[in-house]
Amino acid sequence: MSTVTPIAPTPVAAVAPRGRGRRRRARQLGWNVVGLVVLFVMVFPVYWMVATAFKPGQQILSYTPQWIPTDPTLSNFRDAVDQPFFWDAAKNSIIIVTAVVALSVVLAFLAALALAKFHFYGRKAFIVLILGVQMVPLAALIIPLYILMSRVGQVDKLSGVIAMYLTFVLPFTVWTMRGFLLGIPKELEEAAMVDGATRFGAFVRVLLPLVGPGLVATSIFAFIQAWNEFIIAYVFLHTPQKQTLMVWLASFTTLRGTEWGPLMAGATLCALPVVVFFLLVQRRIAFGLTAGAVRG
Amino acid sequence: MAEIQLVHLSKVYGNDVTAVRDLNLEVAESEFMVLVGPSGCGKTTALRMIAGLEEITSGEIRIGGTVVNELAPRDRDIAMVFQNYALYPHKNVFENLAFGLRMRKVPKAEQKERVEEIARILGLGEMLHRRPAQLSGGQRQRVAMGRAIVREPKAFLMDEPLSNLDAKLRVQMRAEIARIQQALKVTTVYVTHDQVEAMTMGNRVAVMRDGVLQQVDTPQRLYDAPVNLFVASFVGSPPMNLFEAEVARGNGGLVCRVGDTELDLPPDVVAERPSLAEYVGRRVAVGIRPEDVREAAGWDGARLRGRILLVESLGSEQLVHIEIAAKPLERSDLVDTAAQPPGPSLGAGEFERSTTLLGRFDRHLLLAPDEAVEVAIDPRLLHFFDLETGVAISAVDVPAVAPVAG
Repeated sequence: MSTVTPIAPTPVAAVAPRGRGRRRRARQLGWNVVGLVVLFVMVFPVYWMVATAFKPGQQILSYTPQWIPTDPTLSNFRDAVDQPFFWDAAKNSIIIVTAVVALSVVLAFLAALALAKFHFYGRKAFIVLILGVQMVPLAALIIPLYILMSRVGQVDKLSGVIAMYLTFVLPFTVWTMRGFLLGIPKELEEAAMVDGATRFGAFVRVLLPLVGPGLVATSIFAFIQAWNEFIIAYVFLHTPQKQTLMVWLASFTTLRGTEWGPLMAGATLCALPVVVFFLLVQRRIAFGLTAGAVRG
Repeated sequence: MAEIQLVHLSKVYGNDVTAVRDLNLEVAESEFMVLVGPSGCGKTTALRMIAGLEEITSGEIRIGGTVVNELAPRDRDIAMVFQNYALYPHKNVFENLAFGLRMRKVPKAEQKERVEEIARILGLGEMLHRRPAQLSGGQRQRVAMGRAIVREPKAFLMDEPLSNLDAKLRVQMRAEIARIQQALKVTTVYVTHDQVEAMTMGNRVAVMRDGVLQQVDTPQRLYDAPVNLFVASFVGSPPMNLFEAEVARGNGGLVCRVGDTELDLPPDVVAERPSLAEYVGRRVAVGIRPEDVREAAGWDGARLRGRILLVESLGSEQLVHIEIAAKPLERSDLVDTAAQPPGPSLGAGEFERSTTLLGRFDRHLLLAPDEAVEVAIDPRLLHFFDLETGVAISAVDVPAVAPVAG
């Protein structure tokens, strides 16, 4: 959403602008308008989802759009939560997301450590491979993966889906973590080793705290991926009790039509954890922890 | 406290890049040893091998009599100060200082006591709760020093710890580090590329070039009796004047012919350098320190005539560039002079070439550019070097550590 940045109000110079200044201001104004349009396009669906969730049934389907819900109601939320399998789906989603975030952060940290700090045969090839697998579209992989997973008996199991998610979360997280690790001067771990830490101790006591922002960034990515994923969950999880929230959401669209109110309420509920998670961890991204380690 | 011995130490990267070649060096207990040399001479690699941060290709390192080749850095009981300080940015000053003690399972109360003691000595008492980012360069440097001191290790290893400070602070910290080392009497290996630092701080100085140790000696001996052209040109600021001359027989003894001037070599100079006689009729490299180039008034010995090119006033003295008729050494880059094989261009017209002689003169002398001057050259203060190998033709007792060629 970097396009939003130009919206920040530009201070108006006190001196009367000359011709060039005026032209520059006009251009600035143009960009600001573009920024506002983009912002509107991005924000409006979210607003519409939340607004619809609070509207009573007749307002949702009325021909004149109701921009603001006049008599907000919670009945849609009640209906959504009362739908069959909501709590099952919520539980499954939480299990999957927790496992994916935890595993991907740990594995990515260790893998990135190997890539950033050690020299081994085939390291370059491995790095290229990590980039390469991200280029393959998911749709092309899903059938071979399904066959593979069914052979090892992991279809319709949460563990299977966790493994699947890791396959496409890990390349990105490893790559990101590697970048963060490369930014930490090697003297820091050397100093720790001379000071009496083992190599592993130096990683845990010095490197790990310093890649905090990297861990946060990768965990956010893993969280969003695992929480929002639909296709794999839809293909791999057949039993209603084993489905995730995203698959559960789809069940509002039936042959008899779509129940928009409860669907939007459910969607709002599903969007909340991501927002909450992001708000919880985003502060840690904000500042670089390495400041002051070395001169420069 | 312990002595450090490097025995036939070598480091080869890949298959062909030799960073350190057959290094033999003994650092005595509580000695301050400085490794000095231009960048890429292998001094830092040698230090990192002592620390255990770099694998040893061949040879042996002993600390306190124990071979440490296979020991991890933490088991060598050494402390290191890094060029960029390498403070742990997520820990405050107290935690930075206490880290080594914590790793060694020193009791909490003792940790606190020792850290506070060191912080007091280094003037960091007020800053124990600050993060490195909130400290100035000098304060960070002090924390880095403190982190090494607080451990009370067998040896300090310092890798250019002052190179990130501004000039004034550097001079101040230079004295401070030397003072701390003398007080603690901890064996120290200090790496720098700055020969002034090396001369002022070290009990002994080891000069390295291209991975090869050139000479190890006290700063004064290094200055007075460099074993080869490289050391001669590297040590001293401003550097030694070096030019070509010819040794010949005349006036009942040996003479040194610089340009068209003949300098008589007194019998004691020749007696001190027995091999000089073998150079009769050959060309040699001759060196003289700028402070030994003197004003000719009142001097009845040999003189060189020249013309003043430039006068630089330093306040306490003046540096005078004097053009004299003498063939400069082939390589203009004096520090690397020794690397240069004898040039093929010796031949006609060589006497027409001139060399700039740098002299340090009293500030009260009135000297102006373009003036013709005569400078006194005391042949006893001349340094002689073999033109081909760069090795000093010197008094017999100076141990040449390594020949230059090779």
